[in-house]
Amino acid sequence: MRFAAKKAAGLTRCAGLVAVLAVVGLLPWLSHRDPALTVLRARSAEQEATEEALSAIRADLGLDAGPLSLLGRWAADLLRGDFGTSWVSGHEVLPSVLAGLQVSLGLMGAALAVAVLLAAALVAPVLVRGRGSAGAFAAMLAAVPEFLLATVVLLVFGVWLGWLPTSGWQSAEYMVLPALALGVPAGGLLGRLVADALPAVLDERWVELWRGAGVSRARIAGAALRRVLPPLVPQFGMVAVGLTGGAVAVETVFAVPGIGRTALGAARSQDLPLLQGAVLALLLLGLVAGALAAGVRRRLLGPALRDAGLTLPPARPVRAHPAVPVTLAAVLLLTIGWGLLRDPYAVDTTVRLAAPSWAHPLGTDGLGRDVLARLGHGAASTVGTATAVGLLGLLIALLLGFLPGIAAGAADIANALPPVIVGILVAAAVGPGTGGAALAVALISWPALSAHAAALVQEVRASAFLTAQRAIGASPFWILTRHVLPSVAGPVARHALLRLPGIALALASLGFLGLGAQPPAPEWGLLLEESRAYVERAPWAALAPAVALALLAGLAVSGAALTQGRRVRRATPAPVRKEAPVGV
Amino acid sequence: MSDPLLDVRDLVVRYGQVTAVDGVSFSLAAGETLALNGPSGCGKSSTALAVLQLRRPDSGEVRFEGRELTTLPEPELRPLRPRMQPVFQDPYGSLSPRHRIRDAIAEPLKVQGRWDPEKGPARVAELLDRVGLDPAYGDRRPHELSGGQCQRAGIARALASDPRLLVLDEPVSSLDPSVRAGVLNLLADLQDDLGLGYLFICHDRAVVRHVADRVIEMREGRVTSG
Repeated sequence: MRFAAKKAAGLTRCAGLVAVLAVVGLLPWLSHRDPALTVLRARSAEQEATEEALSAIRADLGLDAGPLSLLGRWAADLLRGDFGTSWVSGHEVLPSVLAGLQVSLGLMGAALAVAVLLAAALVAPVLVRGRGSAGAFAAMLAAVPEFLLATVVLLVFGVWLGWLPTSGWQSAEYMVLPALALGVPAGGLLGRLVADALPAVLDERWVELWRGAGVSRARIAGAALRRVLPPLVPQFGMVAVGLTGGAVAVETVFAVPGIGRTALGAARSQDLPLLQGAVLALLLLGLVAGALAAGVRRRLLGPALRDAGLTLPPARPVRAHPAVPVTLAAVLLLTIGWGLLRDPYAVDTTVRLAAPSWAHPLGTDGLGRDVLARLGHGAASTVGTATAVGLLGLLIALLLGFLPGIAAGAADIANALPPVIVGILVAAAVGPGTGGAALAVALISWPALSAHAAALVQEVRASAFLTAQRAIGASPFWILTRHVLPSVAGPVARHALLRLPGIALALASLGFLGLGAQPPAPEWGLLLEESRAYVERAPWAALAPAVALALLAGLAVSGAALTQGRRVRRATPAPVRKEAPVGV
Repeated sequence: MSDPLLDVRDLVVRYGQVTAVDGVSFSLAAGETLALNGPSGCGKSSTALAVLQLRRPDSGEVRFEGRELTTLPEPELRPLRPRMQPVFQDPYGSLSPRHRIRDAIAEPLKVQGRWDPEKGPARVAELLDRVGLDPAYGDRRPHELSGGQCQRAGIARALASDPRLLVLDEPVSSLDPSVRAGVLNLLADLQDDLGLGYLFICHDRAVVRHVADRVIEMREGRVTSG
């Protein structure tokens, strides 16, 4: 049976790989944009787009043969180790893909180091105090938009203090600022995921026993981490892969020649060979990382997984204080309520980019519109859309979590794709519109959740009490709905909440493709995108929606911790009897 | 001798290349305690799982109440499963950490379609009392009980299925010596009252002498005496 599952996973990996590459190969025909025209524009801006010039390019590229024969030829060349040549530059694809990949992997390594350090700092208090936290702070860090953080560190460390270079990619010091911008949100996410799983483990009996036996705190902490990490190892792998391909925004701010930007540029000019090469490299990276993570996880769990010898941690409440979520909710609701009383569309060019004042408490944007008003009016649609997409992702994740064989391969593929490339493919396939953005983001937001669900499902299934379930004659359906699903749904749903701001940001980042909310709608992500151009002059216009998103993330996560604590209330102690010691 | 409750012939269990159980045979009568003794890793627990059909043996026969189990497909086996119940070594691992003791004991009744909303709670309280636990413990979750109390709850849960055979896989190995005796006495009482057959897996000779009618020694997957 295990062999069959492995085979299924291999098949879905291959099928996913082929499907994505085929869709990439069909991009111009899906989008109905003539690649000859975009290639001509990309090659030289001056040349007239005459029919002659266009047909010369078509003949040169072999476009007349149609997409299928083009794809077939590309695949045949690939099998011989030939990645083709770029339609725009005429250079070989393989060297530019490898160069981009090298830069991105270096940046990913540095960013992952920042993320792991930050995650460790976030987890340390939980280990020291031995109990859980509401997690609002970590969730807020996870909600920081990468491009905003990139701009802020660039201004502070690069321009004002002049400590570090601000653009390019020549030596190690060029890595510091981009790695910070990428690593902080990733570290917040990873730290929160570990901290969410730790309290239950620290409540297990062996911890008391070890403490009683005088085992050092550090060793207990190490053992507790080893206990919570197995289901999260795939998350670390996925974050690493996401940092490699999905760093487009940060690569743009710091002019880093990474593979994400290579792929985006190729997609915009419809340079198919380069795009296919970059996407193929990213997908292979995703598959390798997925296989590595699965291997590490199996080593951590050992034979307990096979022998159904795992013990699940007890369901104990985290003692979350209601003050955190109540304060966050109050601040958010007051701000939104105040904003709703004002006009979000009133343009007043005499007060463009005004600083906060009584007339405009959060300042004005580039058209002199009131930021507070736009924040208030955008709340419902921002939170609503992000929640809907998040729910869809959660649903897909829980369904696929029970078919780990099939899901793992597809998840590795979907996770490796940069969101913006998925956006371009979706925009080409379904055309612009609000639904398109939701579809694109849903397509990329399920893999992390489904990997988390699959890992938890596998561990619940390998626990001894499920063996006892089979012994009483319980049907697989009973076991699934009464035991497996309830154990898995909670942590995965809290994970989904943690990703809510990321979903809102991803939705907004696809705006330039004609997907999602369009100006002048006061959507939070859109507010952020619009304020990008003048962050330096009017930071409040970007800060207001970013802080609102962070507050939302903190509220969602600390609120979830609070309800979780309420559900598992402690029962009153009962008297002990009939356990008198008797000699054997 | 009348038909034995359990009759095992030439049982073989393999994990990949490793043969954990290599041709084990024994039989067990109702009301009898058969101890399976041996060092760790000798295949005792694999034998237990194979007898319970929780891990299907690679070859051999397991006849229980006169019926051959190894060839029965899972849906036909399911109604027979309640008749033979396991009690595991780790009292915390064998109960769901999410559920109250009350619900864990009621679950076999619900799964087997024998739950009566009016009489059910009384039955659960009766089972708790039967294993020496105050019915008020029903409100607790496993980690809020001591190891001995939790093992008693596990036994109550096994009894809820009205079994004829208990497969006890080191049921007292993880308990304090003082608590251990209480659980062993409880098992002896239950056997006297209900006429249960016990397949008692253990590596502690003192415990074996205390409980067993007959002892089988196992080593490296084979029966060496008994």
